[in-house]
Order: sequence, then C-alpha cells, then structure tokens
Amino acid sequence: MKLANVDIRLFLVAGIAVMLLLFISFLLIFIFTQRKKLQYQHAMQALNDQQRNQLIEAAIRSEESERQRIADELHDEVGAILASSKLHFHSIKLGAGEYNQCLYDKGRELLEDGIKKVRNISHSLHSAILEEFGLNEAIKHFAGKFAHESLIEVTTRLDFKHYSPIKNEISIYRIVQELLQNILTHACATKIHLTSDYSDSELTLKISHNGNGLTQQRFEELRFNKKGLGLKNIQNRVLFLKGQLNFSFQSPDYHIDIYIPIN
Amino acid sequence: MISPEIPHRIRPILHLLPSNISMVQILQIILDWSEVWALLIPASVLLYKKQPVLHRPVVFYVRFALIINILIDFIWKFKKVLPYQLNSNNWLYNLEAVGTFFLFSSFFIQLDQPFLAKFKKLVPLLFVVFLFINFGFNENFFDYQKLSSRLLSVQAISLLFYVLCYFLVKVLEDVEVDIFTSDFWIVTGLGLYVAINFFIFLLYNELTIHMENFAINLWNVHNISYIFFNLFIAKGFYEAG
Repeated sequence: MKLANVDIRLFLVAGIAVMLLLFISFLLIFIFTQRKKLQYQHAMQALNDQQRNQLIEAAIRSEESERQRIADELHDEVGAILASSKLHFHSIKLGAGEYNQCLYDKGRELLEDGIKKVRNISHSLHSAILEEFGLNEAIKHFAGKFAHESLIEVTTRLDFKHYSPIKNEISIYRIVQELLQNILTHACATKIHLTSDYSDSELTLKISHNGNGLTQQRFEELRFNKKGLGLKNIQNRVLFLKGQLNFSFQSPDYHIDIYIPIN
Repeated sequence: MISPEIPHRIRPILHLLPSNISMVQILQIILDWSEVWALLIPASVLLYKKQPVLHRPVVFYVRFALIINILIDFIWKFKKVLPYQLNSNNWLYNLEAVGTFFLFSSFFIQLDQPFLAKFKKLVPLLFVVFLFINFGFNENFFDYQKLSSRLLSVQAISLLFYVLCYFLVKVLEDVEVDIFTSDFWIVTGLGLYVAINFFIFLLYNELTIHMENFAINLWNVHNISYIFFNLFIAKGFYEAG
C-alpha cells in the first residue's frame, strides 16, 4: 500500500514537472521565433525606409539642381538678352508724332516688367539670400516679398539669437514657400504669422493664419489625392528631414507646426 | 500573541484573527481563499479598462468564476453550520469546470485562427457527448463525496489543446507589431494553469482516498497556479484596455 502511494506521488510530481517543462519550452520556442521574425521585419522596414529616403533625397536634389539650372539660364541668358534689348530700345530715336511716343513708352514699360519678372522667377527658383545669409534671412525676405505681392499681412518672429546654419536648409525654405503659396491660393487668409525657435536639438517653425486652413485629418486625406502634389512635396521634404508636420485648428486660427531635428 | 517578526502593516489585520494563530496558518488562509481574491485582480482591471468584444467570454468567466468560487469557499468554511444536503461544494467545482471549458473554447473559436478551425468547433460538441456519457452512466454530477476528476482533467487537456493550437498558429503566421498581445497573456496564463493542474485533477480522487493530507496540500499548488492564471488574465485585460 505504502509503495503504491509513493508510486502515485512520484507519478504526479513527474507528470506536473513534465507538463510544466513542455509548456514552458513551447512558450520559449514561440517567443524566440516571434522575436526573430520581428527583428527580421524591423530590419526589412529599416531597409525600405532607407531606400525610400534615398529616393526622396535624389528627387529633391535633382529638383533643386534643375531649379538652379533654370534660374541661372533665366538670369544669365534671358536676363542678359532682355537687358541688351532694353539698351537698344533706349537708343531708338523717334520721329515726331504722339502715337509713336506712346507705343515707345508702353514697349519700354513692358520690357522693364519682363526683366523684373525674369529676375523674380530666377530668385524664387534659387535663393541667393539663403545661400549667403541663411534660413532666417531668406524666410524674412520671402515673407516681405510675399506680403508685398499678395496684399496679405505677413508678420514674423524669427529666432535670430539661437540661429545656427543647419543641413538642408533649402528643403525647409521650400516647405515654407509651398505652405505660404497654399495659404494664398486656397485659404483666403488676410493675416499670416510665422515664428521660428531654435533649441539644441530641434528647429520649430510655426505658421498661423486666419483663413480656411487644414486640419491634420484633412491633410492626411489630401496628401494621397492626385491633386495634392504640393502637399506630397511638403510631406516628402519633411520625411527627408526626418521632421514632423502638424496641422491643427485652435479658434480663431489655423496652425501649421513643423519640427525639424538638428543634426 | 503576535510574534515580533511580523511586520507592523500586518498587525492591525491580525487583531481580527484568533490570537493563537501562526504565520503558516495565515498563509494557509490566504491560499485557501485565493480562488476568490485572485479573481478580484482581473475584476478590478475591468472597472477601468473597457474590453474588446473578443474578450467577452473571458470577462464573463471572471464574473462567473467569482460567484462560483465565493459559494465554494463559503460552503467549505461553513460546512458545519449548513444542512447536510447543502454542505458539499464538489458539484460547484464540476459546474465551474464545465463553464470554464465552454467560455474559453468560445474565446479560442472567436480568435478565428485558421489551423484546425473545424475541429476546434467540434471539440465543444465532443465535450457535451463526454458530459452525457460520463454523468449519464459513470459518475454523479452532484456526488457528495468527491468532485469529478475525469471531468476536470478532460476539461484541462481540451483547453491545453486549444492553447497549443493558438501558439502553433502564432508561430506560423507573420508576427504583428507586438508579440505580447492581450490574448497572448490570457492564453499563456491558461496554458500554465492547465499544464500544472492536469495531473492534479486526474489523480485527485485517487489521492483523497489514499493520501488525504497530501491531496489537501497539493491543492495549494492548484491555488498558486490559479493566482498566476488570474495575474495573466489581468495583464491581458490591462493590455487590451
């Protein structure tokens, strides 16, 4: 009887131990295989992200070099031709007649307008101010010109105190350009306020306006829309800069916050 | 007398207990009532974490088991006070085993995993057939003397089958963002509980006949595994909420 009791006890303890061991080993195998799969997926994801960023970078770089080429050609070739035409135009000696004088004045005026427009296009395609004086000056200059041309009240509060040049400033400048153009075209705003703040690790750009702007949800919808090419460009540049872009509405204004990591 | 080794925090509670009670006896009381208080852990998580539809059977299990276990422990505690016909809690263990099986099998079926899907739906039917045959011809569901070892062990091995199927499918399918999902915690807790207790359930009646004291002590192993089971369920509820 005693021996039978010992046998049952042994059988029971062995049974519990075996079941427990089997279950725990099953569990460990599960966790290890899942971890491996997860690591592989993360590696694949990182590779995809890297490839996507390289593609975006290549697209942005080629776009910038193309802009520069067009800007140079406009400035150096077309600009030079127009300037030379203007000189020739000035040398024309007119005979008597009010009608001819009127045409001459109109022609000269159009030629000057053309030269100005070509210069403006050339400057907007390639910002020399950005290259020479940095992002803050370029944004300030662009905001001033934008306000002058569009009759929108643009105010800025830019952080000159902590400013230090960062990599790919041209992309940040393009984002600001595109956003202001969008506000002008779609939001019917009358006031825009633009601020920048530099910290050790981040540049924060904030744009607020009193027009009919975008919320984050609407932005997400539009950026996958075929028509939303500008927004897609903005998003690509933000991705390229590893930054963050937030759209929000806090009554009475719409806000666009851009966070760009520094280094 | 309260021994000096007992921490101050426990002393006020000890005033409610008889003065000659020892630390081992206090631990034994805690363990004896673990089938009730352990369930309060996931139940308290339910108060502030709303659960998805998928967890409904487990939520129902917690409530169902809490009621049954309160009854089980009260019957056991007031055995001498209650009339003879009402002072056995064995049928409640049987009832809990049946309820646990059906609730957890519906939880696994709801997970909609493709592996052995039809067979998994067939298992509850087979369990019903087993219940009819076992309690129709072999055992009495309301047996005063003993709980049904056969029922409890069949319930445990069937649930273990579901648990292993769950992990097999998870190993084969593509991993999502996180391995440790809410259902992972619940299934792991259940797996540990049934893996430890299968042999206890299987041999419990035999042990109560030949080694009563060992059987009583062995139930502590069940109670400890039950505490862990409830902790895992609580973790699952917490993750899902």
